[in-house]
Amino acid sequence: MKAGNRFSYLVSLLISVAAALLLGGAIMALSGYNPLDGYSLMLQGAFGSTRAIGNTLAKSATLCLTGLATAIAAQAGIFNVGGEGQLYLGAMASAYVGARLTGVSPWIAVPLCLLAAMAAGGLYAYLPAVLKVKMKVDEVITTIMLNSAAIYFCSYLANGPLKTAEKGVSAGTDSVDPAFMFSRLIKRSNLTESIFLAAIIALLVWYVMKKTTTGFEMKLTGQNQRFAKYSGIKAGRLAILSMVVSGAICGLVGMFEVFGLHTRFIESVSNEFYYDGMLVAMIMRYNPVGIILMSLFFGAMKIGGTAMELNAGIPSSLIIIVQSIIIFFMAAEEGILTSFQARRAKKKAALSLRKGDTL
Amino acid sequence: MNEIASILNIGLLQNTLRTATPVVLAALGCLMTDHVGMMNIGVEGMMLIGAFSAVMGSWLCGSWAMGLLFAMGIGLLLGLFYGVFVIKFKSDEFIIGVALNIFAGGLTTFLLRTLTGQSGTFHAPDGELSTLPRLTADWLGSIPLLGDLLNNNTLLVYVSWVLVLLCWLMIYRTPLGFWLRSAGEHPDSLRSAGRNPDRMKYLASLLCGMLSGLAGAHLSLGYLSTFSENMSSSRGFIAVACVIFGRSNPPKVFLAALLFGFIDALGMRLQSVGISSALTSIFPYVGTVLMMVLVVWRSERRKKKMARTPLAQ
Repeated sequence: MKAGNRFSYLVSLLISVAAALLLGGAIMALSGYNPLDGYSLMLQGAFGSTRAIGNTLAKSATLCLTGLATAIAAQAGIFNVGGEGQLYLGAMASAYVGARLTGVSPWIAVPLCLLAAMAAGGLYAYLPAVLKVKMKVDEVITTIMLNSAAIYFCSYLANGPLKTAEKGVSAGTDSVDPAFMFSRLIKRSNLTESIFLAAIIALLVWYVMKKTTTGFEMKLTGQNQRFAKYSGIKAGRLAILSMVVSGAICGLVGMFEVFGLHTRFIESVSNEFYYDGMLVAMIMRYNPVGIILMSLFFGAMKIGGTAMELNAGIPSSLIIIVQSIIIFFMAAEEGILTSFQARRAKKKAALSLRKGDTL
Repeated sequence: MNEIASILNIGLLQNTLRTATPVVLAALGCLMTDHVGMMNIGVEGMMLIGAFSAVMGSWLCGSWAMGLLFAMGIGLLLGLFYGVFVIKFKSDEFIIGVALNIFAGGLTTFLLRTLTGQSGTFHAPDGELSTLPRLTADWLGSIPLLGDLLNNNTLLVYVSWVLVLLCWLMIYRTPLGFWLRSAGEHPDSLRSAGRNPDRMKYLASLLCGMLSGLAGAHLSLGYLSTFSENMSSSRGFIAVACVIFGRSNPPKVFLAALLFGFIDALGMRLQSVGISSALTSIFPYVGTVLMMVLVVWRSERRKKKMARTPLAQ
């Protein structure tokens, strides 16, 4: 992106966010809530205490990772809509390995759990990627279908063959050895040591996407596959690779949920976390730095929204509405701008004609 | 043997029709937009909002007919919304579709809570919800198997059959359909013939919205007789897969949707033999992936065959 381009993009983004927040406020007012109360509760809920800040950071890390997972695949021209399923399988695989390795030194076990999560997520992304590259089967539909399949499969495992014998757990696998769990950085908040891993991954993704030849080749592949092929890039292999990396990151997100919070695989391990991250990535047009910054904002909205629901009874799904309005605006940004410019140009032309200027 | 008989009976086919119908309707809408060159994956969200509007309409006005009208009306609005963004503002149709789906999930959940004060699943406070009527004809009942199959379905099942025929007629046998198809294939030739391709695109997205709304109405008033959050559960995406599978030709798309319905119904039947419902729920999704692979594999083979024939001669 050129500097001027980036500036106009930032301006439109700010206007879109402001407009979406205003619309959100209007929706609140229409449904009989006080929008100012709502938003101030939201701010408080997101930043009001160290615990709130911890939760916001943890949420942002999840959004950032899932957003980057979307971006790394999208950069190579392949859309991974299946992150949710990859996340579930990663959570399931790591929870299983973590429970099986109980008693082993954490220095050996935790890396193995990380590997298990990455392998599960990556392999599950490999399937639609190969279908797309080798057979041209549309990856959007297959990944969405595989999402539902994975979620139901994990729920089958958690209710059936892998159901824990522990009492008081309705559906879930055996819990992992407590020694493997990430410890909490802020008491009673969801912020755990996993955020350091998340930061390292984010940095790596940014570095690979922006600073390496592989990243550049991926970009070429995404923009024009044929051109990339003729310039000697193994476009197909690159697309598959970026999809697998994307899936592996999603698998890790699932692992972080299990080893940070739940101690075991449970059916509610994710609540459409991937789609939230995908939204962030789409709004920021797959720019890694933009995704990292935007996920802080979206994370704060998510956490604040929950507090808003608890304290004022305003349904937190309002946040989803506001976020999707932002994406509607951003997707239409160029079209709206050009239609404005066209209108202005027309006016100018009409004016100059009226003045009797020669064309 | 008994177990097999308890799975493969007439109920299986009845269920096939019931589960296929929302997919048929949504797929008919989606194929309209595919013909004008903007595959709408937002049908999932349109369907969800349609399901919600239908239940609200039926609950507020006390009649299923009003529910249908609500669903179709809101569907038309959504179609217009999609059209304005994709056609006028030239937004990416994929992004708008995805955003529409996420928006639909948030909006229906929000409205369910603020309008009715309930969450999760809607229960009509004043008792029964007016749902779609089931139609029966006595003379059909006298025919053995076929009578059982064709009788006692909800209204929209029959409507969807008529619509398949109508859509086919419109797309392939009328000037309007010809313009519609050329708006997708050769918009410039259509323009030089004095027709506005954008208008055709708007028409397609309006029809898509309306049909998706109907699909949602069947889901909430015909199939389940309630609304619950995210009840469309990827059926809209399965509809998109059926459109790809049937190459946007209504009768073929219809058959694809029936196949999906059969897989779904078979999965539900298998629950009665003691197979976990979580496991059988996987059926339609895996089935759809296999369907997608099959259709591409077949067309690739056909291409290869065509490429080979001239050499053989």
